[in-house]
Amino acid sequence: MFIYAFVVYAVIGTAIAVYAMRGIKSQEDYYIGGRRISGIISALTYSATTYSAFMMVGLVGLTYASGVGALGFELFYLVGTLLLLSTYAPKVWELGKKRGYITPGDMIADRYGDVVARTMAIIVSIALIPYISVQLIGVSLILEKNSGLDFSTGVIISAFLIAFWAFLGGLRSVAWTDAIQGVFMLILALSTVIWVYNYGFQNTSFFEELPKLGELLVVPNKVWTPFRFVALTVPWFFFALTNPQVFQRLYIPKNEIALRRMVVLFGLFGFIYTILVTFLGLELRVLSNAEILPMIKNRDAVTPTLLGIMPSWLGVAVSLSIFAAAITTANSIVLTLSSMISKDLFKSENIHTGKILIVVLTSAITMFALQKPGYIVELSVLSSTLLLCQLPLIFSVFHWNIGGKTSGILTLSVGFLSAILLFSLKMNPLGIPASVWVFTISFAVFFITAKVEK
Amino acid sequence: MKSLEAIIILTAMIVPFVAIKSYDISTYAYWSIITGIYLVYISISRW
Repeated sequence: MFIYAFVVYAVIGTAIAVYAMRGIKSQEDYYIGGRRISGIISALTYSATTYSAFMMVGLVGLTYASGVGALGFELFYLVGTLLLLSTYAPKVWELGKKRGYITPGDMIADRYGDVVARTMAIIVSIALIPYISVQLIGVSLILEKNSGLDFSTGVIISAFLIAFWAFLGGLRSVAWTDAIQGVFMLILALSTVIWVYNYGFQNTSFFEELPKLGELLVVPNKVWTPFRFVALTVPWFFFALTNPQVFQRLYIPKNEIALRRMVVLFGLFGFIYTILVTFLGLELRVLSNAEILPMIKNRDAVTPTLLGIMPSWLGVAVSLSIFAAAITTANSIVLTLSSMISKDLFKSENIHTGKILIVVLTSAITMFALQKPGYIVELSVLSSTLLLCQLPLIFSVFHWNIGGKTSGILTLSVGFLSAILLFSLKMNPLGIPASVWVFTISFAVFFITAKVEK
Repeated sequence: MKSLEAIIILTAMIVPFVAIKSYDISTYAYWSIITGIYLVYISISRW
């Protein structure tokens, strides 16, 4: 049954991608939709790009295993994003339009020089490969459990669609398919919450059983210590500025009204989706505590277990919505990375260079995913921590008239290497989380070197 | 103004770590309501 649904999904997505190919003449058309995207489509592509398979696989499991702290972690991200977007989105959009920026690196090149933009393109490419691989791993685990496809086949099929839709129609293709899939994701999350409620709480009350979760209903608890909360929250808080796939979307709205609509509707989407997903995790944990469902030890197995007990039609639809969430995030990242490598690193003005890079990047991501590295949440956060080194350079564009080529390169290099070092050695010096160290080191290096450079 | 806004919203989000200790839906509801209020504020305020 899943295969039939998947074929329908792939055909509809491909038809949209083919339609989106029309009229693409320049890099501006291909990578940012010619700056002519409506507010609603911008909001849906921003949402679908941001909210990945992590939500229905990782966050449901994280809430199940660790309680309400998972909601706090995700809502801290949302609040941080709304704060950053309401502050910087209008400035980035205006600057982008005025100076003709296409990639996030264009703004950095304009301010610090081409070499810094090149360094940034290399760093974000290295940092985001694990993040995209997480999407492939997440959906392939779902496919393996529910459709009979083995893990490797799932990875390869997902990778093909990621590359194919981005390759055909660029941003417009990605944005239009994102919009449909975003609505689909939201509807299926709501349907799942309602189904679980009807399935598990016919003879027992959710609110009567809930207090039995005890420590899971408060923070801090054994999992959500202040240390862990800060360690996970800091990199995600700045996601809107440090992740190029969402930063680049600040260029796409057709006017300021569309930009504002994008931010507000994204906030609404994120708010509803987060509430639904975390509520689902709590529902399932209550049912496990009441022995209506088995207790699940591995948090990444919570959603696959749920899919196994659902009616097959709903299980197929939810699996497809998780698949869609992964595809929408991954193809946006691949398209953005191809624009940065093509334009910022190779200085190519040709769309075909970007198309070749989409294929190359997707192949690299597939290889990484097939190795199934580590835990899903930690891998995603590692990517965001690696990207923190860009923050001083981005803030400086708007706030401080300091820094140049040397401080730009040193900030990116030292920040990035310190993140790699701290994570690989599993070090948290002085009991402070690695992500906070990377944040502090990056700003310290920027201010010191910018002062010397001046 | 933005700095004050940031301080207020972040302080409000940290409250459950120090002030909500009941084993019920309170923490969940509190975080949801604060985020909801901030979303409404963002949608009606001048940027």
